[in-house]
Amino acid sequence: MPYCLPRKTPTLGRLLAGLCLVFAGLLCNLPARAADILLTGADDSPGVQSFVQALSELRPTDSVRFQPVASLPAPGQLPASTRLILLDLQSLDWRLQDAQGPATLVLRISRLQAHQRFGDVSPPHLSLLWSDPPLDRQLRLTRLVLPEARRVGVLFDSHSEFLLKELHQAALPLGLEVVTERWDNTNDSRPLQALLKNSDVLLGLDDPDLYNPKTVKNLLLSSYARQLPLIGPNAAFVRAGSLASTYSDQSDWLKILDELLDRPSSTWPRTLYPQHFKVLSNPQVARSLSIEPMNEASVATQLAEGEHRP
Amino acid sequence: MSFGSPSPRSPLVLALMFSSPLLADDLFLDNDPLPQVLTATRLKQSPAAVPGSMTVIDSELINASGARDISELLRLVPGMMVGNISGNQAAVNYHGTNASEARRMQVLIDGRSVYRAGLATVDWSDIPVAMEDIERIEVFRGPNTVSYGANALMAVVNIITRKPADSHGTRLKITRGQRGINDFYASQGMGWDSGDLRLSLSGQQDDGFDSDRTGADYRDNRRLNRFSLAVSQTLNENQSIDWQLNAKDGTNQRPYTYSPVFSGITAAGNNSDVIAKDYAGSLRWNLDINPDHSLYIQGSAQHWDRQQTWRACDAEISFSPELTQLWQLNPNYTERLARNIARFTGAPPGTAAEQALANQVLAQWRNGANKTLCGDIDQSARESRYDLELQDTLSLSDTLRLVSGMNYRYDRADSETYFNGTLDDTTWRAFGQLEWRATEHWLLQGGAMFEDTQLTGSSLTPRLAVNYLINPRHGLRAVYSEAVRSPDMFENSVNWSYQVTNLQPSAYGQTSARYFVRTRGPGDLEQERMRSRELGYNGYFTDWGLTVDVKLFYDEINGMISEPLRNNQYIASNSNSSRFSGTETQLDWRVSSTDRLRLTYAYVDAEASNPLDAQQTARNSGSAGWLRNWGQGWNSALFYYGADALNGYRFERVDTRLAKRIGLGKANLELAGILQQRLDNQPTTFVDNNYDERRVLYFSAELEF
Repeated sequence: MPYCLPRKTPTLGRLLAGLCLVFAGLLCNLPARAADILLTGADDSPGVQSFVQALSELRPTDSVRFQPVASLPAPGQLPASTRLILLDLQSLDWRLQDAQGPATLVLRISRLQAHQRFGDVSPPHLSLLWSDPPLDRQLRLTRLVLPEARRVGVLFDSHSEFLLKELHQAALPLGLEVVTERWDNTNDSRPLQALLKNSDVLLGLDDPDLYNPKTVKNLLLSSYARQLPLIGPNAAFVRAGSLASTYSDQSDWLKILDELLDRPSSTWPRTLYPQHFKVLSNPQVARSLSIEPMNEASVATQLAEGEHRP
Repeated sequence: MSFGSPSPRSPLVLALMFSSPLLADDLFLDNDPLPQVLTATRLKQSPAAVPGSMTVIDSELINASGARDISELLRLVPGMMVGNISGNQAAVNYHGTNASEARRMQVLIDGRSVYRAGLATVDWSDIPVAMEDIERIEVFRGPNTVSYGANALMAVVNIITRKPADSHGTRLKITRGQRGINDFYASQGMGWDSGDLRLSLSGQQDDGFDSDRTGADYRDNRRLNRFSLAVSQTLNENQSIDWQLNAKDGTNQRPYTYSPVFSGITAAGNNSDVIAKDYAGSLRWNLDINPDHSLYIQGSAQHWDRQQTWRACDAEISFSPELTQLWQLNPNYTERLARNIARFTGAPPGTAAEQALANQVLAQWRNGANKTLCGDIDQSARESRYDLELQDTLSLSDTLRLVSGMNYRYDRADSETYFNGTLDDTTWRAFGQLEWRATEHWLLQGGAMFEDTQLTGSSLTPRLAVNYLINPRHGLRAVYSEAVRSPDMFENSVNWSYQVTNLQPSAYGQTSARYFVRTRGPGDLEQERMRSRELGYNGYFTDWGLTVDVKLFYDEINGMISEPLRNNQYIASNSNSSRFSGTETQLDWRVSSTDRLRLTYAYVDAEASNPLDAQQTARNSGSAGWLRNWGQGWNSALFYYGADALNGYRFERVDTRLAKRIGLGKANLELAGILQQRLDNQPTTFVDNNYDERRVLYFSAELEF
């Protein structure tokens, strides 16, 4: 049950809704006017529907709607007050055709995808909300679950190379050493073998050229054969056999959006890593590698506390 | 899934009540669907949860040891007694027993047994696998017939080769050094969308030991070449096949050891060298039915070809039909007569029939049958094995796993000398093992194997282990297991006689004749039976990077076949027994990111009804190693190996390896020097195994790109 009731309810419902609104307005300092929140993407999948539904329940005073990108006019023709949320890369391409247009939140975009599109400078009218877990958080997760590991092995290719500098910087204060290996041809396992020889743990970058259904088997079996755990790159990999990863799911993103939508769009950050997240671990893999079973929630709390510290 | 406390979802999430579990409809989790790779059926137990004692020799150790032989690596395993019959014949026993016949250990290469059924040996030097192709060696210290079948009596050595997927690229290596050391290795590995392969060629040469007990040159060189092809192919998401072809061809020198029975014979041959060829092929089909259920079917064919034809000399009387008849009547009587024939004028006392034959033999001797004849002896043996195994792993729940399977094996041995033709044997085996994680701390593992062998009958062996996990990294264990060893074809069914050919001059007018001695196996031997009890601790101290394993053991073998395999008067029986008790320790300490220390020690107390079975037990034995990475491509390793008495001889050696890695663009060159220094002054295991110098030096260069 949402904490505010939908608008079109019988009389008692309306009364309650009104009360609810007043309360919410007082408490959250909601913008006085109802906002028009437009979500767009290529397809209207069940996943999209449930997300839109959840967002509209979360923001009863706003008008929340989804419209396929194909049916939309050029971005510049949309009212400037619209709050635009992009759900995929097709809709991003549509948005990029016009420098004019409403403030835009871009969801489900990874650092890598953004870098491929924009290089180092992203367009000013977009707020990019990163889908991949922040490197610093993944490194701290590594240190938390594997305190003895010092050398963190990282595979990269030309697309993910730009992340390495940041990774080295994040590792430094944690006392971790990042060992990197370029892996341009995933049919050739030599770089992986070389990396496994020089690492205590592998950290996966969310780079689909390297971490995909074709490479998953060799990556996991080879690292397991050397008793090296893999951290990351995402929740799906944890289910496949990676030891653990941080991730943000729909409920996390709803919280983040709710907070952003409360703010004037002029204050939206240009880029943002989700501050709400969870930890997923693979207890069977942990058990086999003699690692204590972890309490995912408390690990997530510990990580979050670390981030809030100045 | 976790045996720890279930992880409650964040209270914030609960408050929002948008609780969306990790399901398909979550827009933010709809990554590409990935297959579950590390499933419950693929994951192995953590070291603390293993139902027994295990030593893993990893690739770092293999490389650092500088060892050129698998048997040499086993010196790193506590309780392993590694000796040599000659330079090209290793004798490896766990805890002990006979020094010249190591036949109570199972040895597998990627799941294929290389224990020869016909002659009950493992020809370590002839195994068609190059050291460079080995990923790791897992040694299960203790009986484990439930997992590995009969003959996994005292220990199991599981040699695991590098997966083709992990051996991409080109490797070229040469090794040269003193004692005629001259080895090479070349491999090429590649991958494609649905598979990987590795092809490797290798060769090995050395002069073996330098001199025998008399100081004369000892004839035990070896030279061999190997070919190996390993392919892995993914058929679809849940099916894959792995196949391998291996071949080895080489010569093992053997000294001429025949001593004439009859007096006055001085002519002799000069060798009894063996041409040894090994061939093996295997195919394995892996099927993942679901993440909790997988099986494989592996079929393999192997062929051992030992060609051993050599020239021997003795008196013509050796081929006398009357002498042969007399041997069949009474071997003891005949041996006494034959060895002292020149001293007898009349038949020694015996039965009338014996005396009549003896007098005929003596008459022949006096009438010219004392002349020297030389002829070819063919001691060749060819053995084949076909093996089919089905193994099913089923994870019944998060806490219960069942491994079960069936195995069919056909063995055939073909040797005129040993079996007077061909002998075969068929084995059926069924096995099952259940692992039950009763609580977070208690782990119960039990199983049994039933085996039925055509030649020796059936047996049932149980095994039970309890592990108490203090935490996932520290565990105590108590293990009881029974195991059997089937007598091999030789022990049980030998029909040993020599048909000597190319006789010069001819014997009784024939150029081919049968030597008078014939030995037959009893044919009714039963399996040896072992009872083993073990208490152990395995722990990993994360803060120090220290792994410790300690075990106390008490093993008994009954119905032991201890008689040495000899062609005069071999009377095998199940009448012996032995007992081994003691303790073993193994420490592996990663002191820092650059240093690794490793220590092993075993104290073994052996008692045997036949003194031969206590020969190869060193009361104190062990090893110590220090591996260091000095940076800038420099690596060093220092190993000490010691055993206070193997077959009565002390063994102590220090091995040093110094290596430098040089990057050459995309390639890597590694130059290494290995110095082995013996600290004792004794022969190695047997009196004829002597080196002129106590130290040997060899170098290797390896290029990888």
